[in-house]
Amino acid sequence: MHPAVFLGARAALAAPAIAMGATFLAFGAAVREAGLSAGWALACAWAVYGMPGQLVVLQSASAGGGVIATVVGAVAVNARFLPMAVALTPWLRRRDGDTRPLLLAHFISITTWAAAMRVLPDQPVSARLPWFAGFCAGAFLIAGASTVAGHVLAGAMPAPLRTALVFANPLYFALLMSADLTRAGPRRALLAGAAAAPLALVLPPAWGLLAAGLIGGTVAFLIGHRRA
Amino acid sequence: MSEPDLALLLTGLACLVLRLAGVLLAGRLRADHPFIAWASSVAQATLAVFVVLAVLAPTGALAQLPLHARLVGLGVGVAAYFLLRERLLPALAIGLVAVVLVG
Repeated sequence: MHPAVFLGARAALAAPAIAMGATFLAFGAAVREAGLSAGWALACAWAVYGMPGQLVVLQSASAGGGVIATVVGAVAVNARFLPMAVALTPWLRRRDGDTRPLLLAHFISITTWAAAMRVLPDQPVSARLPWFAGFCAGAFLIAGASTVAGHVLAGAMPAPLRTALVFANPLYFALLMSADLTRAGPRRALLAGAAAAPLALVLPPAWGLLAAGLIGGTVAFLIGHRRA
Repeated sequence: MSEPDLALLLTGLACLVLRLAGVLLAGRLRADHPFIAWASSVAQATLAVFVVLAVLAPTGALAQLPLHARLVGLGVGVAAYFLLRERLLPALAIGLVAVVLVG
């Protein structure tokens, strides 16, 4: 196995593991509270593998929401996977027509994407896909283990602790964004996204995130394109 | 198959299709191609929207945390990140401790 696989796995077992673990722990606890099994919690975490979408499916499973409405709502809040996969793929290919990135497509999440976009450009081409595979394996196992642990420990977690765990997710992404604020391109996109965020409040919840991201991202891209 | 299970199965498949579509759409384009740059920009902006909404207008479990706790957690975490020379893990821990103490 390529040594970069282990470097990637080790990178996943640091800060990303804590942030992801905390969020999935809280998710497992929420599934228990909704009266659903640990198996269902694990299936949801691993099949959807994107927290906003998981929460939509959980909400509908516990409150009843209709199959079509649930799928549409969950897909809309997880729609960022598409532009993320587009942006990441050129860094995973070893040569033209390389189909191996398809095998790792399912593991693209905010956490794995953000880590890969930071680390891969500085890696030799041959090490990129192995590094990402190792990182994804580590992150996926942590997500699954934390979900089951959250389900088991639900009763033992005081409410303030659980809320703090839920906050780990946005705080971790905010820190990743802070790191990107020193680079002009990402800074433009992040600031434009933050400025477009209020749009999400006036649009239907399912589409707000997607629409504000599309508008903010496109504006930032156009400004950057004109300056380049 | 029960409705919740069917909804879970279809959502999982749809999310996989989204990810596969992204990989396929990228095709043979290089990282500096305008389409790739646009997709990166949209992905980053979406992430910023997600964080701003989570802090300023959250739903679900996060909404149980008062606004001042969310703002303090974010401010302390980001300040710690830069003061500690961009180390993620300690900054994350310090921010979460601040949330628990203030919330």
